[in-house]
Amino acid sequence: MTFRNQAPSLKLQNNFQFAPPQTYIMANGCKLLVVSQGDVDVCRVDLVFNAGSRYQTQRLVANGTFSLMSEGTAKHTSQQISEHFDYWGSFTGFGADKDYAKATAFSLTKHLDQTLDMMQEILTMPIYPVDELNEWKRRSKQSLTVEMEKASTKSRIGFFNALYGEGHPYGAFAVPTDFELIEQDSLIGYHKQFVGSKNCTVVLSGRVTDAHIAKVQSVFGNHSWGDASETSVSQLSEQQVKGQSIFIEKADALQSSIRVGRPLFTRSHPDYPDLAIVNTILGGYFGSRLMKNIREEKGYTYGIGSYIVTLKDSGALVISTEVGEQYTQQTMLEITKEIERLQNEPVGQDELLRVQSYLMGEALRSINGPFAIADNVLSLFYFNNLNYEFFNGMVNSIKAITPNRVMEIANKWLKVDDFVHCVVAKSNPF
Amino acid sequence: MVNFDRFSLDNGLRVIVHKDTSTPLVSVNLLYNVGSKHEDSNKTGFAHLFEHLMFGGSVNIPNYDEPIERASGENNAFTSSDITNYYITLPLSNIETAFWLESDRMLSLAFSQQSLDVQKSVVIEEFNQRYLNEPYGDVWLLLRPLAYKVHSYQWPTIGKEPAHISSANLDDVKNFFYANYAPNNAILCIAGNVETDYIKELSEKWFGSIPKRCIVRPDINKEPQQTQQRRLEVKRKVPFNSLYIAFHMCNKLHPDYPATDLLSDILSNGKSSRFFQSLVKRQQLFNSIDAFISGDIDEGLFVITGRPADGVSLVQAEEAVFLELKQISQQTVDNYELSKVKNRFESTFTFGLTSTTEKALNLCYNELLGDANLLNLTIKRYNEVTAADIKRVASKLFTEQNSSVLHYIAENI
Repeated sequence: MTFRNQAPSLKLQNNFQFAPPQTYIMANGCKLLVVSQGDVDVCRVDLVFNAGSRYQTQRLVANGTFSLMSEGTAKHTSQQISEHFDYWGSFTGFGADKDYAKATAFSLTKHLDQTLDMMQEILTMPIYPVDELNEWKRRSKQSLTVEMEKASTKSRIGFFNALYGEGHPYGAFAVPTDFELIEQDSLIGYHKQFVGSKNCTVVLSGRVTDAHIAKVQSVFGNHSWGDASETSVSQLSEQQVKGQSIFIEKADALQSSIRVGRPLFTRSHPDYPDLAIVNTILGGYFGSRLMKNIREEKGYTYGIGSYIVTLKDSGALVISTEVGEQYTQQTMLEITKEIERLQNEPVGQDELLRVQSYLMGEALRSINGPFAIADNVLSLFYFNNLNYEFFNGMVNSIKAITPNRVMEIANKWLKVDDFVHCVVAKSNPF
Repeated sequence: MVNFDRFSLDNGLRVIVHKDTSTPLVSVNLLYNVGSKHEDSNKTGFAHLFEHLMFGGSVNIPNYDEPIERASGENNAFTSSDITNYYITLPLSNIETAFWLESDRMLSLAFSQQSLDVQKSVVIEEFNQRYLNEPYGDVWLLLRPLAYKVHSYQWPTIGKEPAHISSANLDDVKNFFYANYAPNNAILCIAGNVETDYIKELSEKWFGSIPKRCIVRPDINKEPQQTQQRRLEVKRKVPFNSLYIAFHMCNKLHPDYPATDLLSDILSNGKSSRFFQSLVKRQQLFNSIDAFISGDIDEGLFVITGRPADGVSLVQAEEAVFLELKQISQQTVDNYELSKVKNRFESTFTFGLTSTTEKALNLCYNELLGDANLLNLTIKRYNEVTAADIKRVASKLFTEQNSSVLHYIAENI
């Protein structure tokens, strides 16, 4: 007899252990991290540089330097390079975020040699042909223009502008006309300054053997390459917290795009793990309070979530949603209510246990497979100086959290008066 | 090679087991053979709305998501024109929770009025967010009815219009459930470190007693051959003009399907592709252009979408595309180009099978097509395509009379 109204017994997950990658210091001093796992013959190589947009003196230079690296070298034209990667079934990506810049290649392991040889050429001898630069400007300007028509893009930019200030590297965003100002010399100069073995860390992940590791070493580790020296990183200034309300009009909007949040701290902060748990309760999973209240009870939106943004020198909490135009004010009111509830009422044991179990599952899913592990290694490299204890510490915090600690964190870090509210809508809700 | 075992229950539920010893997690994928193509043309968007309702509680279990979260699991679902697919990833030790929840909602839903009312509102907001409030978001609402006059692919999964969703009532929901959700209309796959005997036992225990149901739904009409080009011009508040062209193509099981897919890759997959090199780089007529196949089970669409460069009219842009299409229809591609797209396909396909979630979904989907093992024959089928096949398929597809052309014109903003 099957008793359908009775849940099968559960086993709580306790066995999380983050296995650090194999670490090599190669002959040229460059660090190589290897995650060898998986049952499919594929792999990924990431080369990370301390070269994000925070170091540029003109908008889009970091991004342009990386995006255009594969558009022509001393030996091959843009077309020859793309023919090469396409023929061997490799996929590449080049780009810069706020703190770091990265070159990535996905490859069948049987074609790793061909993939890496071309990657080496791209990284060491790009020439930034003017016609390729012009084409990139033309195309990117158009796609950014389309992107900036979206209410969600406008609210994201408005929000981070307000959080950090438009002059701060974390608050600055490119506009379409910025593309027109980019010149070849700036890209060549940025490449020279930032791309080289002294400023690089390599991560290899997938079903790789010693032969594949040796190949990476021979291509990127035997000799010093590139003119760049190690970037001297100066800490960016802390942000002052101040509540504000920003309205951006979009006359034809069917939905209002809402961003609510505040600047916080980096992942090294002692309150980070518990704040991450509080964020989960608030809006970090499908069963979260914001989802339950605003989507599953009221139907105001297709989705609402809260996120912790991690940056090298900062962090932020962001609540994000697109709601029916008529629900704008009510949604903001409910967001405030949910935050105050976290501050004033202890979380019930049942809910807390559910969040703890869910987060333990997330921890396991985050190390499921070589590429997921590599993503975690990269994020540790970015934000925690490769302190592998971070994940084990996070798991300990998940196990140890109490209702009182949740209230304490909510009262300390989620004061609604400190929050920035940014709304893109037909009419001003403030 | 994705190995698997397969068995069926007496009520018709097909079960596939894939053993993967490398992970402590297990993926449970349940595919229902129902999509938006099975809808009544006056009640569109229903399969997708129904997917939302499947999370609103079942006959013996008031809430679907909370038990999954307590079991350290994560779940989601999607609806397409052909199928509705539900999946869970959770630690192996809690696998029975997945069987308990999935079997109960196959047995029967709670059919709550409150859940229906809220999910109608959620889905209408989804309609707004993804189709109406985004630049170019309504393209598929325009292109599908242009290309299909008879087949139910003429409306997108979200539905023809929000009004179809807001008028759904609880009787519609019940009828839809009993007409489509049944063990004999579903395929289950378990992928993880599991033994087939154990999965047989669990399947019998939880799904075995659910009765077989009679699947009743409207006939799907075959789209007749198109005999004349169809054109549509719309004006919208967007920053740039866009061009969309759709051609009717074969169904998924047709011998020409791999050749048609590779044809789209030759035209636009990767930066070395013809469209990118010729239309974007050499002639600078487009800023972006793409060609892809819709991937549907019934006769689908081969679609080209592009955004012209400044100063290039949609008419010029369209002419340039048709010229490229004429070339590939008349000149045989060389071995190098064909090998390139085959290599690239193999790589994409292999990268697409790196997780238990992807393997479980793909085994179910291929079983729906007729045999889960089709998955393992895919690369071979693609490698057998010849240059002559590409030319033959291109010349059959790319005729004016087989095309539907949409000019999406930017109004001043």
